[in-house]
Amino acid sequence: MTATPSSIVEECHAASELPIRADLTAAHAHVWEKLAAPGTWWDGGERLAIAEIVGAALDDPVPIPPWESPSLSGRFSRNALLSSELQDAIYRLTVHAGTLTEEWYSKMRDATGITPQQWVEVIEVAISVTSVFRFSQLAGIERPAFPSPIEGEPLRQEQPSKPAKHHWVPVVHLEDMTPELAPFYDGLPAVPPVIRALSSVPSAMDTLATLSSAQYIPTREMIDLDWTRGTLSRRQIEFVAGRLSAHRECFY
Amino acid sequence: MMLRASSSANDMQVDLSLVRGEAAENEAVDHAPELARLVDTSVSDLNSLSAARSALVEATDDATMLDAAAVVANFEMMTRIADGTGTCHPSERLESMAEMTTSMGLDQFVSARS
Repeated sequence: MTATPSSIVEECHAASELPIRADLTAAHAHVWEKLAAPGTWWDGGERLAIAEIVGAALDDPVPIPPWESPSLSGRFSRNALLSSELQDAIYRLTVHAGTLTEEWYSKMRDATGITPQQWVEVIEVAISVTSVFRFSQLAGIERPAFPSPIEGEPLRQEQPSKPAKHHWVPVVHLEDMTPELAPFYDGLPAVPPVIRALSSVPSAMDTLATLSSAQYIPTREMIDLDWTRGTLSRRQIEFVAGRLSAHRECFY
Repeated sequence: MMLRASSSANDMQVDLSLVRGEAAENEAVDHAPELARLVDTSVSDLNSLSAARSALVEATDDATMLDAAAVVANFEMMTRIADGTGTCHPSERLESMAEMTTSMGLDQFVSARS
């Protein structure tokens, strides 16, 4: 019987014999189901190729400096689906995100020819792989293998995204909410910039919401500064979050 | 910011240098040294990650260690979203954070966009 993306994740979690929460396993299984399936702007094979670059970057024992080209250094096998410029951009997003600048973003788009929405989807794939692999590494459990690509065309669904004051990428503002974004926008007086960042691709918003609710705090509980699952206190959660973000030199 | 807010909500003062510096035991964050070691080794000393994981489990339990691992995974995600999309804070929020970001040296990050 062929393993499904969900079963790949579920078997790794079950084999650990650790008390991994069912909602966390379900969240990782959900993003694994999407990982190599046709997306909004990339097909399944392209999404898997992006995922493989992210995985290779996370595994790089001695990352090269951000100003050097990992594709020229021979870190990746030849890939017909992604240009070397895009492979380099994915590596840098994965390993040196804190060094990215607006000038870099502009030059990267010129060199790769990708749209802002395609870049947002690259980020979605990167955060899926990074979340699943880093959790496995920290928990000391077996890392899920990548699923096989699923054939099909990308959805190519446009959103009314507009240039944004607080982002390089265009975003959908609250007043322009579409049915696809309603699950993430509805009822909110404002959407924090870091959440709005992926709004030009609703499927990426789904990935963010799914992972964040299971790995951090369910959205509806964010306002409760004493919220806990009975393990970490809210202060411990924020301490871990702040310390990791400082290591990554993420100002936001 | 959220660490400060969640501490204030409980009438606790938290020394925010805890986030970047030596993480000693303190009233606001239980098991701060063990949590910090898990985070630190996962970023820069993978050979010591297993020992850090065991120390946290010994101080707490498996479920707490797993939730800490999940929070790290989450902020590996959030940092890449923020830095990959050039997300920055609104100016009024930057002003309210100014003292904290300067004292912690966060304003020296390349990612300190405005």
